[in-house]
Amino acid sequence: MIKRILVLLTAILIAIWFLSPVVLIVISSLTPSAEYYDPQRILPRSLTLSHLRSLFVTLDGWRATLNSLQVAGMSIGISFLFGIPAAYALTRFVFRGKNTLRLGILMTRSFPVLIIGVPLVVLYLRIGISDTLFGVALAHTSMVLPFVVLISSSIIGGVSVEYEEAGMVFGLSRFGSFMRITMPLVLPGLAASAIFAFIMSWNEVFVAAVLTLTNRTLPAHILNTAMTAPDYFKFAAGTIMAVPAMVFIFFTRKYLISLWGISLK
Amino acid sequence: MTYKRGLTPYLYFIPVIAFLIMFLGYPLIETFRLAFTHRVGPLGNFSRIIESGELWIALRYTLLISVVVVPLQLVFALALALFINMRFKGYLLLLYIIAIPLALSDVSAALMSYSIFGPSGFVNKILINLGLTDSPVYFFGYMYETRAFWVIVLTEVWRATPLVFVILLAGLQSVNKEYLEAADVFGFSRWTKLRKITLPILKPAILSALLIRTLFAFQIFGVVWLLAGRDIRILAGEAFYWQTIRYNSNVAASYGLVIAVVSIAISWVYLVILRSREVEGARA
Amino acid sequence: MRKLLVLLVALIVTSVVFADVAWVSTQFHPPAERDFVEGTLLPNFRRETGITARFLALTYEEASTRIRAEQQAQRVTVALFGDLQGGIDLMGSQGFLTDLTDVTFPDRTFIPTLEQYAYNYGIKQFVPWLQATYVMMVNKQAFEYLPAGLTEHDVRNATANWTYDALLEWVKSIHAATGRRMLGFPEAPLGLWHRFLHGHIYPSFTGAQAMRFDSLEAIAMWEYLRDLFEYVNPASSTWANMSEPLLRNEVWIAWDHTARLTDALRARPDDFVPIPGPAGPAGRGFITVLVGLSIPKGAPNTDEAVELMGFLTSPEVQVQILDRVGFFPVVEEAVGHIPTGALKFLAEGVVAQSGAEDALMAFIPGLGPLGGEFTETYRLAFTRIVRDGEDIVKVLTELAPDVRDVFKEAGAPLPEPDIGYYK
Repeated sequence: MIKRILVLLTAILIAIWFLSPVVLIVISSLTPSAEYYDPQRILPRSLTLSHLRSLFVTLDGWRATLNSLQVAGMSIGISFLFGIPAAYALTRFVFRGKNTLRLGILMTRSFPVLIIGVPLVVLYLRIGISDTLFGVALAHTSMVLPFVVLISSSIIGGVSVEYEEAGMVFGLSRFGSFMRITMPLVLPGLAASAIFAFIMSWNEVFVAAVLTLTNRTLPAHILNTAMTAPDYFKFAAGTIMAVPAMVFIFFTRKYLISLWGISLK
Repeated sequence: MTYKRGLTPYLYFIPVIAFLIMFLGYPLIETFRLAFTHRVGPLGNFSRIIESGELWIALRYTLLISVVVVPLQLVFALALALFINMRFKGYLLLLYIIAIPLALSDVSAALMSYSIFGPSGFVNKILINLGLTDSPVYFFGYMYETRAFWVIVLTEVWRATPLVFVILLAGLQSVNKEYLEAADVFGFSRWTKLRKITLPILKPAILSALLIRTLFAFQIFGVVWLLAGRDIRILAGEAFYWQTIRYNSNVAASYGLVIAVVSIAISWVYLVILRSREVEGARA
Repeated sequence: MRKLLVLLVALIVTSVVFADVAWVSTQFHPPAERDFVEGTLLPNFRRETGITARFLALTYEEASTRIRAEQQAQRVTVALFGDLQGGIDLMGSQGFLTDLTDVTFPDRTFIPTLEQYAYNYGIKQFVPWLQATYVMMVNKQAFEYLPAGLTEHDVRNATANWTYDALLEWVKSIHAATGRRMLGFPEAPLGLWHRFLHGHIYPSFTGAQAMRFDSLEAIAMWEYLRDLFEYVNPASSTWANMSEPLLRNEVWIAWDHTARLTDALRARPDDFVPIPGPAGPAGRGFITVLVGLSIPKGAPNTDEAVELMGFLTSPEVQVQILDRVGFFPVVEEAVGHIPTGALKFLAEGVVAQSGAEDALMAFIPGLGPLGGEFTETYRLAFTRIVRDGEDIVKVLTELAPDVRDVFKEAGAPLPEPDIGYYK
């Protein structure tokens, strides 16, 4: 009984720790400016949607949100398409130069993205994909791909090769064996790295802002409009960025359960 | 492990390598060229930021933040993962709540932090209402570097602990129940089970979480830049500053190179540790 | 033949309908200002001319990156580029701009002292669009603590009594009475603090922005700043926009760009008063900021872009911009219109500053890509002398060559008032 109360208390504390900043910025974004600047008033007496509305509707935040989702989706798609074969080779084969390759992939990730942003603008204009979401997605992929390779290789490495070999003994091709036997086992881990890839793309501001004029992602859009604004616009911006996050968690909750191998029973 | 000769293993890398050459290689070469271009000679940019002491300040703060933030994140994440793994009633709801910061950007997290610690933030409003102070307590500003530092640490721990948590929780799924049941049969204590069974199995997950977090900690930018500006100078912040405010891509690229060198050194250390494990894995 | 005709008509129609002017601007970033451009100015423009324009507010670095990249790749999409005179000059120095000598608007007169700065590198780089300046803003409560010998009338009308020494006495007196440091500057990286150093206090003490960087008068100035900073709010280093701390009553006296003070004035017009900056031994130094409109080389829809230029510099729109955003007109026909409401006060503060007998107007030097080096040297001097307490003479001796070399390296003319000081 005491143990159950302790667990409950701990759970509540953890929930408060993780939820309160989100709740507080949402409240701040709904606070009329006069009440915000009143130091005596902790919680506002009335709420207003005006800050959010100007940022979200009038200032095009909605379209930017869709742009961000598209960019993140394309980045995840491309990076997994290209990354999984490399990750597979890293774990399943022994060959000369393997560690050099692995280190090379790591090294590429060590450069701050804001430095590669500027040269990419010129490159994109040359190849005709300037100011496109696809261009941003490619830049984000270059940032996400190394991690997809590294994380996936550590995940695939966690599944014994013997299962796959058994599959091949029973007549499956190497690809078929990987897809039918290893894939279901590594999906939870791959889902975690997909979430990771999504976050990386979602968070990225600098490259997205430099590479686009009209097709801005949400953070780039917000960086452009909200950062020179009064505090309440900043909070509105923070809230607008937080909402898709919660939507994301809501829609993936079933995957979180099954992919992380946690059953409801 | 399959031993392969010939070209087959390399074919698997062609898409990745082609992509990275196109979208990282070309800009990277440009970055190197920039960092070593200066009117007095190739090392002009570096001698400039070393002599003025700016490089040291930025390096020191970046290191300090990493050294404080990464272990805190790891400890909290491990505790959280073990707690969630107890699968008490309602643990799924808690899991979703912990997962929320996963999808938040650093810009968003910094803004949340500002809504709490800003001059009109909740902390100050509460202090003023309790009569503990009549003018706002500042958490940001050149005289309050220490306070700003801890607010940044708090923000980073809040924001990024769930990333570590996800990796560790996924790792915990690979802990074989039978081992733990066997341990119960032998009457091992909870602590011994954790130390002898769970942690060793978690080691690769911990290592990859550590690697990822340390690399990111060295590129910390949004939270520091939005909350403290240049009062707390960090490597990526200096690169951004030189690129966008001083229009000097050469010095900016030099800071980029410093981040790169330190990151590669860290990656190398982790790789050496990881490789020793893989050799065992190959034998198994 | 008929088919061809139909096709031709269709082409003409589509080209008229879709003649889209991509207008990049580094100004009008804040949401409210973008709202004004996209919700009021551009629809009015379309109603008048039938031309659709897209407004793209970019940061300085994004805009310059964009223009440069488009020029290098020879694919220009930006038809109109609005930026600070310094930023346009940067693009002009690379040969990225169209010569606008033939672009004239007969029904209006651009203020000649402003328009002369459009000519550089042998072309007319831009058409003046907006001007702005920096003033101080005072919370009326501060007037209760005026030191002996300084009156509200002195401060508001920039009399000879309103000096930097008087400012120090004033903030001292506030500190003595309230225990608080109520003076503030926008010192954050994106704040415009460096403009105060090189464009306001330096000319006020030394008579020049750069050429007397390490003079005896400059040493006296830095000693003064050290004293002053005993009374400057330490959170200044995080502020980019002084409306915020003013609205929070964190400071009572603030210095900033007019456009960054309008929020406070608009929110509580009865509490705040814009005032001219103080005078130093050499005069009342202050900066005038000039914003221009230019056309990149090889830009599409040039005629439409010129139409938009004409619209944006028409007296009516200029007054509208002053009213809504707080930038001041650049055409003489509009100058007479003093807007009603909170901005009337602002206009009065600006007029008092530029009309002061000891006024010493400073322009931001056109240093092209080296502009950042220039302003950051002043910030560095401030950090080393005031924050880190380094020896003044040592710091100034070390940094003075940097300041002067920047002009040589950029091949740039000296700015006002330096140019008048040294012949």
